[in-house]
Amino acid sequence: MRGFDWAVIWYAVPYMLQGALVTIEISLCAMVVATLVGVVFGLISVSDFKPARAAIRAYVYFVRGTPTLVQVFLVYFALPRIGFELSAFWSGVVALAFNSAGFISEIVRGGLQSIDVGQTEAALAIGMTNRQSTMFILLPQSLRRITPPLTNELISLVKSSSLLSVISIAELTRSAQVIIAQTFTPFELYAALAVYYLVIISALSWLSEYIEKRLA
Amino acid sequence: MTESLLQVSGLSKFFGEVPVLDRIDLSVQPGEIVMIVGPSGAGKSTLLRCINRIEHPSEGTVLIENVNMAGEMRNGKLVPDSSVTTARKRRRVGMVFQRFNLFGHLSAVDNVAIGLKRVLGVKSAEAKARADKELARVRMSPHAAKRPSQLSGGQQQRVAIARAMAMQPTLMLFDEPTSALDPELVGEVLEVIRSLAQDGMTMLVVTHEMQFARDVGTRILFMDAGRIVEDTSPETFFTNPSHSRAREFLQRSLRA
Repeated sequence: MRGFDWAVIWYAVPYMLQGALVTIEISLCAMVVATLVGVVFGLISVSDFKPARAAIRAYVYFVRGTPTLVQVFLVYFALPRIGFELSAFWSGVVALAFNSAGFISEIVRGGLQSIDVGQTEAALAIGMTNRQSTMFILLPQSLRRITPPLTNELISLVKSSSLLSVISIAELTRSAQVIIAQTFTPFELYAALAVYYLVIISALSWLSEYIEKRLA
Repeated sequence: MTESLLQVSGLSKFFGEVPVLDRIDLSVQPGEIVMIVGPSGAGKSTLLRCINRIEHPSEGTVLIENVNMAGEMRNGKLVPDSSVTTARKRRRVGMVFQRFNLFGHLSAVDNVAIGLKRVLGVKSAEAKARADKELARVRMSPHAAKRPSQLSGGQQQRVAIARAMAMQPTLMLFDEPTSALDPELVGEVLEVIRSLAQDGMTMLVVTHEMQFARDVGTRILFMDAGRIVEDTSPETFFTNPSHSRAREFLQRSLRA
């Protein structure tokens, strides 16, 4: 390729590795929080508890209707105002988890509601409560259906973590931008950046396929 | 007067404006085998589903062993049950569905054991032992470890009967238990229901199997348009039905 500056790549790749590690750390933390919160919210969305259901609907409405970038800024600037002095790292985790948990709760709700209503009726008929029916009958059967869309959502979480560069977290995208500011070689750096994300997300896809097979 | 096991009074169910059940009165004594027949859309399934409250009736009351399935009377007013209380009251009523509805992620034996474990709090080992016993009763022991998807329709339905019986119900509801089965599998399921009847289980059976209704039933209800049109002995119903709708229905179903 004409004019592609390989020297910059060799200079940038080790430096970006540190950024990649931060991206992985932030993403993993956010994934755990988002999945836990999302599953709990999804379970509540199918429960009898109307006020909680309404609250979750409002939350999902907000998350779906606002750009992730705006949410990142909101969390970063709002948390200190309500008395949570978090580092940029943890603000980032909260912002990503806040965004993803909304989508995951919808994925879980959809998964639970996709199970044949006869399963619920049979559970009720042997005297189970709605909660028991959801936990012991519906949830185990919906796991396989939930895994593929959940993977998509977690992949999108990793990609959204690049937005955290705007709140001065030294994650992968930010680390590339820092080098661009020194070397003025945006094409080379963004190409390297793309490859980095591809590698991280490939690992995630592989893990998800493995889990899906185990659940089969 | 012997005390009724099941007392239904003024039971109605509307879907929108349409009455699916229209002021049903019914009282069932212990040991009765009540066969419910009638054209589709007559409200037979809805009646069963209102009795165990999988469907909420629009009006009327259902008493099972004198317990109101809807709630408790306080100062002449009905205080509705919480869903948890409804679940507890439902334990005494077993139900078998047209489409079996076995839990797809569990083996046959776990389908039977899960109610014992999760609902009655029986320890795992004992629940398994009791489930094995129930499976033996429906002659499904050799298939205990199989998933529902590995069983034939007749086998699935026999497991479903074992699952309901494991809860030791005082009343069993069968909602067209053989309608989804291939013809050659109907017999094995009817045989199991017949043996429960012989053991003295009180049951309501919605069925299109007229010969079975005649042989096993102690009482026939003919339903049409949300009402019980005839309530009589099998002998009278099949030889000399008093209502013209019942006569037409019989002619059509016996010809088939």
